[in-house]
Formats: sequence, structure tokens, C-alpha cells
Amino acid sequence: MAALSVPSTPNGISLNRIVAWLAASFLLLPILVIIPISLTPERYLSLPTSSISFRHYGSLATDGRWTKSIVDSLVVGIGATVLATGLGVAFAVGAWRLGAPLARRLRLLLLAPIIVPPIVHAVAFYRAWATLGLLDTYLGLILIHAMKGLPFVVLTVAGTLANVDPRLEQAARSLGANPRQAMGWVVLPQIKAGIVAGAAFAFITSWDETIVALFVTSRAVNALPRRIWEGLADNIDPAIAALGTVMIVLTFAAVAISTLRSASAKA
Amino acid sequence: MEPSLNGTGNGTASVKDSLVLDKVEKRYGDFVALEPTDLTIKAGEFITLLGPSGSGKTTILMSIAGFVAPSSGRMLLDGRDVTALPPERRNFGVVFQGYALFPHLSVYDNVAFPLRARGITGDAARPKIMAALEMAKLGAFAHRYPRQLSGGQQQRVALARSLVFSPELLLLDEPLSALDKALRKEFQTEFRSIHREVGSTFIYVTHDQEEALTMSDRIVILDRGRILQIAPPAELYERPATEFVAGFLGKSNFLRGKIASAQDGQVDIHMPGFAATANGNGIAAQAGQAAVAALRPEKIRLAAPAIGLEAVSCAVRGRVGDITYLGSSIEVEVRLADGETLLATVPAGQRSFVEGEEIVASWAPDAAILVRGNEASP
Amino acid sequence: MSAAAATSTGGSERLYWLMLLAPCVFLALFYLVPVLNVLVLSFTVPKPGLANYAELAQNGAVQRVLWTTLRIGAITTVLALGIGYVVAYALLQCGPRERQILLGIVVASFWISALIRAFAWVALLQSKGLVNSILLSTGLIESPLSLVRNELGVIIGMTHYMLPYAILPLYTSLRGIDDRLVPAARALGATPSQAFRWVFLPLSLPGLIGAGVIVMIFSLGFYITPAILGGGRTIMVAEFISVQISETLRWGLAAMLATVLLGAVLLLVMWLSRFMDVEQALRK
Repeated sequence: MAALSVPSTPNGISLNRIVAWLAASFLLLPILVIIPISLTPERYLSLPTSSISFRHYGSLATDGRWTKSIVDSLVVGIGATVLATGLGVAFAVGAWRLGAPLARRLRLLLLAPIIVPPIVHAVAFYRAWATLGLLDTYLGLILIHAMKGLPFVVLTVAGTLANVDPRLEQAARSLGANPRQAMGWVVLPQIKAGIVAGAAFAFITSWDETIVALFVTSRAVNALPRRIWEGLADNIDPAIAALGTVMIVLTFAAVAISTLRSASAKA
Repeated sequence: MEPSLNGTGNGTASVKDSLVLDKVEKRYGDFVALEPTDLTIKAGEFITLLGPSGSGKTTILMSIAGFVAPSSGRMLLDGRDVTALPPERRNFGVVFQGYALFPHLSVYDNVAFPLRARGITGDAARPKIMAALEMAKLGAFAHRYPRQLSGGQQQRVALARSLVFSPELLLLDEPLSALDKALRKEFQTEFRSIHREVGSTFIYVTHDQEEALTMSDRIVILDRGRILQIAPPAELYERPATEFVAGFLGKSNFLRGKIASAQDGQVDIHMPGFAATANGNGIAAQAGQAAVAALRPEKIRLAAPAIGLEAVSCAVRGRVGDITYLGSSIEVEVRLADGETLLATVPAGQRSFVEGEEIVASWAPDAAILVRGNEASP
Repeated sequence: MSAAAATSTGGSERLYWLMLLAPCVFLALFYLVPVLNVLVLSFTVPKPGLANYAELAQNGAVQRVLWTTLRIGAITTVLALGIGYVVAYALLQCGPRERQILLGIVVASFWISALIRAFAWVALLQSKGLVNSILLSTGLIESPLSLVRNELGVIIGMTHYMLPYAILPLYTSLRGIDDRLVPAARALGATPSQAFRWVFLPLSLPGLIGAGVIVMIFSLGFYITPAILGGGRTIMVAEFISVQISETLRWGLAAMLATVLLGAVLLLVMWLSRFMDVEQALRK
């Protein structure tokens, strides 16, 4: 089929492909600059000239402010992921099984947290959380991040469920399984991959969420994005580059693994 | 739970009823999927629900399985009301269209599933599972996964899985629709022999008349949410009750006219160009009524016009139209003077036909069967 | 024949309804109520009435911010769509290995936090940054260019952030076009450029609109990149709202602008739903 596709020049190098690689380089450019900055021996933002140093990676692990933020981000991220995954899987499976028009309409409600601009969330939660006494608490940030991660869990799990034959659940019931057993033994094992992917999305959503966290937390809870934001505001700390490098490496590893997995699954 | 021939009550020799549908009805809003339906299924029989799509056959099957709650009516199993019982407590085996095998479980674990749901695991389950796999000729595939099996093998897994817990009733929903013709033939024979072996009641849903005719003890013909006729295959073919049944099961000519006289189970029907006698088929008929009689193409004889043949009460003169060679037989279209046509199937190799040739079609007096017309059905 | 969908046997249905409704109740209480409260605030604070909305017509600063937001949003959308279309088209043409690498780069950059990327752009574009150093040392320029803390910086950063959001849906859409149609057009006498303009481009229009709306939606409400790369000089509406809350404490004005922003985004989503499945478009 590829041979039939849109014609390109005989030697295969077309203007489109040149532009595509330029765009890819543009996308990679910030990544390529962050890695050398993270290795600078200086205290300030610079490229290493004579020698390289891992001191900024060290400060991520030793500087109390960075370690607290890393721990806070993990606590909030894990809490939000558990909550979002539980609720999201429940909703997706319920909607799949009932298939009612109401379920389809409710799905739009669940997608709202992706569409509504984060600054609107910030205004909304700042007011509401002040009333509820949730400002600057772990629970407060976990609730918000769970709601922001929920749509990704629903989308991912619903995507996996679309390929599950609804008759499998009926088959399980006809063979003697009660509703709970049919769910645990048949439906959930089919969508394991979707649940894991949805949970990963929810965790990354929480890990990256900046704007609402800037508004609803201050000292007690200081997750990483807020810490980075503060670091950017005063003198720019190369430790941010070290942190960025770690996150970039993890991201590329995750993308590479999932690409290889799906490639081997196809083969 | 073994079906028993020695009835406990009145001592009649008749086989015990297994499942009774009492005015079971299913509506979705204004749409009637199944009109109020009575159906009595005998213990141990192989009964087939046959009809086109949308006829209500799957609705009946899914109501029996417990996946569709009837809008009204009751379902009795051995006299016990099971209408509201959840599917897992009915103890019926179901073979689904497309099999619905669990893709994450091996063949062995698929078959083990119903036992696991009943709390039977490990060594206690093993002999039953192995026996079910043996019966389905799957011994060598126990540790494969469904996606590694052919369509026929998947079918066998579905069968083994739904029989391993010895259900009283096995429900089969178009199980052969995904298989090619040769495999379908093979399974038709196999279903029968498994049915004899296990002795359970089989309720089989299909839209394929050949499957229904070859396997069933009785066939239930459905159309548009209504049962039209329940009868053994031969009776259904020879004595269809309605025009729809005659047309759906095999080919049929329909003679439409007015009843001239009716007596002794025979009716004389006058058509515009000719007259014929038909078997009354137990249908109340009066002279002057409009009537339809079904006439199977293979009951028609074709002969060259000769003096005297027209005197036979069931004969009509016409011209040969399209001729279709079918191997063992030939299908000949006979064009009648009034513009109607008759289809005749005659053995091949006895006589050759030429299009346009003048010919006489004749049949035995009781070969045509009076049927209820589609408009006139109750 | 909808036996699978219309099942209702006793307790099993209840379990599924519970699963369906529990998350909705949670979201209604903790999400819908706070968000709707913003709408209420815009009409009631500091005092009931339409005073906050009157600022749209009277307040020059508000108008400037909205105009800046629209202008930068539009420029970003056009750039992201233009580059994204070419990249998506190239992804169709290139071999499987090359496609895997390019898509890997796009997807990976999609996942890198906006903060880290903004940080990198500051490092690259500031007056003592990498770009200016290289240009200065090669003698191409005499004094450093101002590439950041202005609108140019914001546009570069936002285009960079939005590009994957444009490429991925465009690629999905272009891949769905029957690849026999262009050869068919050629066989009927069209030149390559005619085949593209008359056949391929019209078929890709829904995808183009869909991707455009997505980029526009996210651009209008964007906060991090404009705040860091705009350096307080190029202010978009999200940053303006945040200033109203944290510095001038004008809650009514902030709530009004948040409501306007939300309304604009919802209108775009409704328009989008006419061209494509919104859920499909939002799936990562």
C-alpha cells in the first residue's frame, strides 16, 4: 500500500521530509540544551566550558527543599492516581456495560476537566477549597489532581473496553459467575493494559500540574512544579535542568518501551 | 435433576416438560421484539428456533438464558418459576454466537471457569475438565489460548465449556454462523451425537433451514416476533401451516384462487386459468373464500402435451421458460397462459427441455397443501 | 436484537449503575459546584449586577489583554497547523523506521512538562543565551537580539508546546484518507499538485479544522509559557486573571474573565463536535 501512497520524488527525499526533520529538531532543541546545562559546574545558568559536574543532580537528592518537593509530588501523585483510577475504571466499565444514552451524556461531564482552562480551575478551587479548609493540604491537592486525571483514565479504559466483547460478561454469568466474579475474573483482566496506561496518564497529569497548585498550596505542600516555578522566578537554578534531564530521560524511556511493546505485539 | 420417563404424578407415558414459557412477551418501548408467546420444551429434546433476523428467536433464547427480562409472562423450569432468576443461578449452558471465549484464559481454564464459579477447583475439577475436553476432541489443545485456535476448535471449546457442569439445558445461539460449509456439516452431525450422549435438552437458534432440518427433533418457526408453527422437520416440510413457513423452508409454488368446494379434508381451488385439488391441511375453509395452496417444485411432473392429460384434475398447460441445471436435478420454469409461472424440479438426465416448448405440468391431488396466507394469519 | 445492551436481571444492573454514578456524584460535588460558583461570582462580586461585564466595553487594559490573547492564539494556531500538516504528510510518505523515530520524538516532546520546556527556551533565547551567543560569536549580529520576554518568545514557546497537539490528530486524520484516491486522480489526468488540491486537501479539511480547534482551545487558556516567556510584558488572559486574584484582589473581574474564557472554549468545543468525535480528539 505504501507504494501506492502520495507520490514522492524518486530518490525519496522530498521537501516535506526535510521540513518534518526540521520540525523534529525544533521539538528536540530545548531537550538538547537542557542536558548540557544540567552538567555545568557553575551555580548559575550556563553551559559547561572546561569541565562537567553532577553537583546539580546531587543537590536534587540532598537539598532539603528539592527532596521535600519530590516527596510531596510522589505523595500527591500516588494519591491522585489511586483515586482517579478507581473512579475512572468504575465509570468506564459501568458506561460500557449499561450503554445507556445517559451514560454517553455523563461522559461529557467527566471530560470537562481536560477542556476547561486550568486558570478557571485555579479560580474555582481557590474559592471552594478556602471554604472547605482544604487550602495547602495534601488531601486538597490530591482531590484536584484526581479530578484532572479522571478523564484520561476514562478515555483510555473506554478505548480498551471498546474492543471487549460484551458477550464475555454474559458468558461468564451463564457459566455460573455472579456479577462481581464476572467483573473480577473476566472484564477487568481484559482491560488491564488500559488501566495501567490510564493510571500512568493520571500520575503524569498530577506530576506536571502547575497552575492550580500555585493557587491552592503554599508552604505545607510544595510539589515539584511549584518549586520549579519559584526557582524560575528568582535566580534560575541549574538544578531545574538536572531535574528536567531526569524527567526527559524517563519520558523517552517510557515512549521507547511502549513503542517497542506495541511493535512486538503487532509482530 | 435427571429427566425421567416415569412421571411422578398422573402416570402418563408422555415425556416430562422441561421448560415452559407462559405468555412471555418482550417490548422495547413501542417496539415488540416478541409477542406473548407460549412454548413448552420437553426434557431431553433437540428443539430449534428458526426464523429470519428480527423474528424474535434470539429474544426467546436470551430470555431463557436470563439476559433479557421479559416485559410480561412467566418461565417455569420443572414447575418452578425462574423468570426473575439471575443467569448464573439458572444452571443453563450457553454457546454464544462468536463463542465469547475468554481471551486471557487457556482452553483448560476456559473450561474450568464454570467449575471455579461453583467452588470446584484443583484436583476435584480436573477429571471433569479432561472428560469435557476429550468429548470435544480437544485433549491436545488444553494449554493453548483461544487466539491460537481455528474457528472449529474455538467452537469445540465453547461447547466443552458450556457442558462441563452438566447443565439441564444447553442454549446454542447460531453457533455455526462463522464456520465454512464443510465444517458446518461436520458439526451438525457432532451436535446430534453429543446431544444423544449427554441427554440434556438442547435449544438451538439458527436462520439456516438446512441446520434446522438435519438436527432437530422439533422446529419452531418464527417471524416478526411470533411463533408460526411448531412441528418435527418432516411434518413442517410436508404440511406447512402458513405461506411464510412454506416459503421459508425450501422452495414452494403458491396457487392463489377461490375455493370452489371443500369436503373430506380436500378443497377444490379455482385459479384464473385452471383448477386444482389441494389437501385441506386442517384449515377451516368455505366455498367462495380466497385461498392459497403450496406446491413443492419436486412434486410436479412435466410431460409433452397429449390427449387426455388435461382431463386430470391437477394439470396445467404452459411453455418452458428458464431452465437451470443443478447437477442432480433440473429446475424448469413453466409459463402459464395467464402470465403466472410454476417452478418444477425434475431429475436430471431423463428428458431435455427447450425454451418455448409446449408442456403439461401435473401433480398428485394431495400434493398441493392449503396454507394460511400471510395477510390472513391470526 | 439488542440483547447485550438491554440486559436487566436483578442485582447486576445495580452494581453497574453504582459504578457509573459514584464518580459523577464525586465530580458534581467537588468539580461542578466550584466551577459554577465562578460563574456566580462574576455576577455578584463585589456587588450584584453586570458591572464586571461592563469592563469588557470600558476597561482598556482588559481589552488589550483579550486582543493579545486572541492574536497570539491565532498566530500559534496557524503556525502549529502549517508545520503540523507538513510533518503529518511527511509521516505518511516516509518509511516505517523513519516514521517510528519521528513519531517517537513528537510523542516524547508531548509529555515533557511545559515548565521544563519554558525553562529551556529562556536558557536558549535570553540575551546571554545560547542562540545569541552563537550569533554574536559568528559575527552575524553586533548586539544580542531580544528573543524572549516579549511576544516573539511567547509565540516560539507556545508553537513548540502546541505542535504535537496539531501533528498527532492531523496524522490520524490524514492516515484515514484512502491512499488509492490520489493515484486514482493521477490516472484520471490530474497533475500531482492538482491531485493534492482537488482530492487530498479537501478530504483532510475536517482533520485540519479539528486540530486547529484543539490548538486554539489550549492556546487561549495557556498560562505557564506566556507567563515565563512573556516576562510580564506580553500578558495573556490567564496570567491577567491570576494577577487579579493574587495581587489586586479583584475577584469579580477575575471571575468574569474566567467565565468569558470558559464560554469561548465551550463554544469552540461545540463547534468541534460537528467535525469530529471530541473524545477521539482529546485522547492522547
